[in-house]
Order: sequence, then C-alpha cells, then structure tokens
Amino acid sequence: MEMDSNTDCSMPISNFGNLTRPDGSTIYSQGKSTVIAGVYGPIDVKPQKMLIDRGSVETFFRPKSGLPGVGDRLYETIIRNICETALVSTLYPRSGIQVVIQEMQSGGELISCSVNAACLALLDSGIDMKFLIAAATCCLDQEGYLIVDPTELQQEKAKATFVFVFESSEGRIVASHTTGTFKLEQYEQALDLCKKGSAKIFEYYRKVINGKYNKK
Amino acid sequence: MPVDLKRINGPENTVSYKLYTPSKTFKEELKCLFKSNNKRQDGRNSLEHRKMFIKTGIVSQAKGSAYLELGNTKVIVSVFDPREIPNKTDYSQKGVLYCEFKYATFSCPQRRNFQQDSEEKQNSIILKQSLEPAVCLHEFPNFQVDIYALILENDGSSLSAAVTCACVALAHASVPMYDLVTAVTMGVVDNQILMDPTLKEQQLCEVFDETDTKSDHGIIVTSFMSTHQQISQFYQTGNINLENISKSISISTDASGDIKLLIEKCIVNHVLKGANKSNEE
Amino acid sequence: MAKQYKSLHPIKYFRDYLAHDIRPDGRELTKYRPVIINANSVSTAEGSAIAKVGKTTVICGIKAELCQPKTETPTQGFLIPNLELPPLCSSKFKPGPPSDQAQVATKVIADIIENSGCINLQDLCISTEKLAWCLYADLVCLDHDGSIIDACLLALFTALKTVSLPKVEYNAELDSKNLQMDERTPFKLYNVPVSTTFAILDETVLMIDPTAEEENLCTGVVTIVIKDDELCSVLKPGGSPITEEKLVDCIKQSMERAKLLGKLIDTATQETNDEIDK
Repeated sequence: MEMDSNTDCSMPISNFGNLTRPDGSTIYSQGKSTVIAGVYGPIDVKPQKMLIDRGSVETFFRPKSGLPGVGDRLYETIIRNICETALVSTLYPRSGIQVVIQEMQSGGELISCSVNAACLALLDSGIDMKFLIAAATCCLDQEGYLIVDPTELQQEKAKATFVFVFESSEGRIVASHTTGTFKLEQYEQALDLCKKGSAKIFEYYRKVINGKYNKK
Repeated sequence: MPVDLKRINGPENTVSYKLYTPSKTFKEELKCLFKSNNKRQDGRNSLEHRKMFIKTGIVSQAKGSAYLELGNTKVIVSVFDPREIPNKTDYSQKGVLYCEFKYATFSCPQRRNFQQDSEEKQNSIILKQSLEPAVCLHEFPNFQVDIYALILENDGSSLSAAVTCACVALAHASVPMYDLVTAVTMGVVDNQILMDPTLKEQQLCEVFDETDTKSDHGIIVTSFMSTHQQISQFYQTGNINLENISKSISISTDASGDIKLLIEKCIVNHVLKGANKSNEE
Repeated sequence: MAKQYKSLHPIKYFRDYLAHDIRPDGRELTKYRPVIINANSVSTAEGSAIAKVGKTTVICGIKAELCQPKTETPTQGFLIPNLELPPLCSSKFKPGPPSDQAQVATKVIADIIENSGCINLQDLCISTEKLAWCLYADLVCLDHDGSIIDACLLALFTALKTVSLPKVEYNAELDSKNLQMDERTPFKLYNVPVSTTFAILDETVLMIDPTAEEENLCTGVVTIVIKDDELCSVLKPGGSPITEEKLVDCIKQSMERAKLLGKLIDTATQETNDEIDK
C-alpha cells in the first residue's frame, strides 16, 4: 500500500544566490524543513587536511540553535561522503571544498533536505560533478503503511524511517540511513518508493537550473 | 561544568551508589589489613610481590605494545614510530618521549572522567621521567616517540605496572635502550612496609591519620635499571622516616631485579618467535 | 619485494590480490574474521566485556551511578554510550578530544540502542521523578583494525548482559537510600542487535568484515544491523554508489552472520554466569 501525499506542498522550493560571499549558495525548502547551504571552493586548505591527488571536502552542519553536537557530526559525515562521491575531486588537487549547511527550520526529513540543498549549492558554485544526487525520505507507520515525504508528526510516530540518496546517472544508491526496525521486504519497498521520489527531485533540479539561466 | 559537545552527556549530577553502602572507619580497615596468620588479605606475606603476566604484540596497529597483569591490575601500553615533534620550530639534538597515562573510565571503583585529571597528568610525567634515562634519545634527534599507557583495571600499583609495561613495549618497538626499567611500588602504613599494595592497601597507605602523627605512612615508587644498578625515577608521598625509606628502596631494587629477569624472558621469546618466522620464510 | 611493492603502490598491490578474488590477508571476499568474546573482564565495572573481531579489539565497561530522572521523562533511567578511539589503538588518532570518527561511531551506536528497543529505560527507574540508575557504557578501542562498529556492538551487548544492579531501598519522604549489595537483579535485555560491515571498492566489489587497510583503500562502507529476524539499521554514509541488488545481497549475508554472532554472545555470557554460580 502506498499513500501519496499532496504533491503541491511537498514540492521543494529553492532560491539561488541569497548569500553573496560563497561561490555557490541556495535556500532550499522541502515540506516543512528549510536549510540554507553555501559552498566555498576550490579554496586553500590546512596542510594536515591537504590531499595531494584530490581535493578534500569539508562539511559543516549548523543546527538551528546552539553548537553542533555528536548527532550533527553524523550528518556532517554523511553529507561530506556524499559530496565527495558526487564531485570530481581529482580536478582540484591540494585544495579544499567547503560545504556549509545551516538549518533554518526543521519539520521532518531534515537529512534529505540538507543533501538536496548541498547538491543545488554545488551546482550553483560550478564545481565539476560526476552526477547529481537526490535524497528522499519515507516512513513506515505503525500499521505497516509506507508514507512518502512524511511530516514531522508522522515521522515521530513512525515505526521506522528511511532516507535514501540516489545518483542521477544510473540510479544507484549512494547513501542509506534508517531509524527504527523493519523487515527486508519493507526496506525494499521503501527503496522503490524513494527512488520514485528522487526522480521527482532530479526533475526539479532540471527545472530550477533552467529557470536560473534563462532568466539571465 | 561545561558540556562536552563531542560526547554523549549523561544527566548532570550522578553519584556512585557505593556512597550508600556501609563503610568501615580507618582503624577498622587497618585491623583487616592482615589476616590472623600474619598474611595479607590475598594470602601474601608483607614483602611478597603479586604474580605478573606480560605479553607483547597486543596492538597490531602500533609499532610496539605490551600487556601486563599484576593481580587484578591490567595495563596496556602501545608505542608508536618516531614522528616529527609537532608544533616545534627549532631543532633539538635529542629525541623526545611523549607519555600519556590514562585510567579507563571504568577502571576504578569510582568512575573516572574522559579527560586526564591531575593524578593522571602527574603519572604521565613520572612515567616519562622513569623511561627517559634508559632510552638512547640521541638516536632520533628532532623526533618524538609516543607512549600511551591505559589502565584497564586498577587494583593498586598501577603506576609501577605502567612503567614496567611501557619498558617492555619500548623494547618490543625496537627503540634503542641502555637498560630495562622495572618499577615496584611499596606502601608504608602503620610502620609496616607492604610490597606491591592492592588498591585497598594503597588507599590505606595514603591516609593521613591525625590521631597518630608519629607512625609512618606513604607510597614509594622506585623505577630501577638493574644492569646499571641505577634508580631512574623515585616518587614518594606521605611521611616516612629515613630508615623505612632506605629499607623500602633496597627491597624494591631487589624485586626489580627479579622482574627484570621475567621481562627479559618475555622479550627473548618475542625475538625467538620473530627469528623462527623469518627462517620459515 | 612484496613489502616494497605494497608501500609504493598500495592500491595496485591490493587490486592484484582482488583480481584473484582473494584479499591480502588470505580471506575470500565473503569470509569474515574469527570473533572472540570474553565477558566480565574487568571487576571494577558493573558489567564488562572484550570483543575481538580479527585483530580489532574493543573493551566495554559499564558503570552504574545514581541520579535524578529528567523532568520530561520522570519514569526513565539513562544509558549513555560513548566510544573512545584513543591514540593507543592506532597511529591515525592523536591525543585530544574525540576525533570525528569517534563521534560518528558513538552516535551510530546510540542510535542502534534506541532503534532496536533492546532496553527499556523504565527498568532503570527506581522511584518516579526521584531516583534512577544511569548506566555509563564506555567503549574503548584497544586495537583498530577495521569494522569497529561490529566489535563495539558485540562488546557493548555482552557487557550489558553481564550487568547486575544492587537493590535500592528508597524512601522518598526522607530521601534516604539503602543499598542491598547482595540482592542483585540482572539487567534485562530484550534483544541483541549485531552488525556486519562491508567495504565497497570500485562500486562493484564487496568485502565483508574489512580490515583497517581495506577500509582505507576502499571507497565506501555499509553497516547493516540485525536484531532477531528484523533489520535495525542499514547505514551507508555516502561513498561509492551501489546497486539495489548488491545492497540486498549484503543484507542477506549479514543475516546469516547475525545468527552466529547472536549465539556467540549467548555462549560468552552463559559461561561467565556459570562461573559465578559455582
């Protein structure tokens, strides 16, 4: 069973170039979550972190309030690894690429929102990428139904939530993060659903990038 | 206390449940020090060392490592390849030892903090001072050798155990040395000398008894290089009269010689094993 | 010669092995390393265990302390897991505050505890709003040779299984606590999640239970956590993309291994419990 939530409200909204200092930036909103992402790169990098054969990617995830804790470090690592895979980092040896994500509002599917924002900001910055990346969230409610793009309330009550990140060239899985417990079949179903969800995001990327360049 | 953002924090005020268990007074404890047959609680004579177990090559990622068990006291030490001294601009003729002594959070009856406390910092320094005279520092100028000691379980005499263990680990890491350093802890309480005290005994030795200021109490840790017959480090707390100190030193240097034989055997075993292996290849 | 070749061309050296479907340590791609678990290793902790997965060694010690429950959750105690990757375990780590890797692993372990529902925090409450147990589960890595999460979970849950807490008589009016040290109740674990890590190379080659060397050379890892017959977490924190089939294949392999690991934990705790009975 699938329940398709209202497409209008779940459709992401984004805006480029709100920040003038970074090389690429975007405000991205999906469902009830909003983040602002900025990309600096290629820039100077500390000697300890310098890699001689490729660029090193650094990610900072800043929560809405307070200082980042242990949980945010996990998000940072996931987003960093994803960006590292998506970028052609061998083109930028001995330099660094910084991705900064500031949480503005959290209403479920925060990881998805951050990953998609990071991808758009990277697109905006013009750093070479191997493929695009898109994340989608779905959750398993207590009755065993899968809900795509859950709200915060649905996510809290859910038995399990799934976040998948796909790449655009062959639709393979780049990242997977889950909470709660579930069966293998349910995982596979969720994977299918999120894949469909990610296709919509890729379409959206195309639309906004088109819009951005046609305006000029 | 500031919140540690890099760890998961528990509730603010937690207390050990052991505070609420019945406890004995110092005098009562002192009476329990010896059993009726003049043996200590674990069946040892007052000048008997606990059995020791040493093994090398515990940590596969380190250049050299050793594990030492002294009764219930468990120590693991690893030594790493020399690396350039970090944050240093001028050239130093001699190499540097960097020692870190840490109790695991669960190693003592009372939970320890993740950060090094003052006792651990002091022990780190003592560890460094004990080993420095034995290591040929001129062999690696401008480089530092890292030595990390972790106490997995503390049942007294953990500092001396760490010194001995670190020496074995250094030898295992093939760091050039003049001699092997072995350390022995002596406890003095109520004018009695106890060799290799357990945690309970050690705590009694550290108590300053206001009602009886004349009798001796304290801890002596002697690091000794047996071949050279030299003391590389000497650490003492409490107040002990000269007679007891000199007596303790001579007893502990004798014991150090015995321990040295044991660790020599352990190192020779390791070398033989390596030799057999290369012969096979 | 092999040694020099290895240090000059580590990746090429590694690939030469993989071309013959074998790994540098002699294992096939689907073979995992032997696992050793020892329970009740440290007597100063309320529960403890050492787990070895190949050369990777993790020790877990659990300390129980008393505290006041949070006002939001007045009927719950605490279980605080923390993983230390001290400089002792590998030259990759330097002294100082926990590295990013340690923090991420700590969070992953905390998430697994929460997701699996393996413990009921209400069991740790002694008196509502007044008194509760706080279990500090401190994990220390002694030797870091890959698949750290797997070893951590084995050590953590074996240690939790050996925890027994003394009975506390609490008088709320007088705020007096009286402990019965002889009357100990074992801590209840509802299930035991175990994990299996895979390393991915070139988006196609999957290796179960990688060593540190393999983890360094590979381009991604997947950690799958299984409890009973359910999945508890499928964590792929980025890295090389893989196809759905490969991922499902990983899950199936880890389900097989989970059964063995579950049995191993049972045997390890059984043995120590028998010893205590004697």
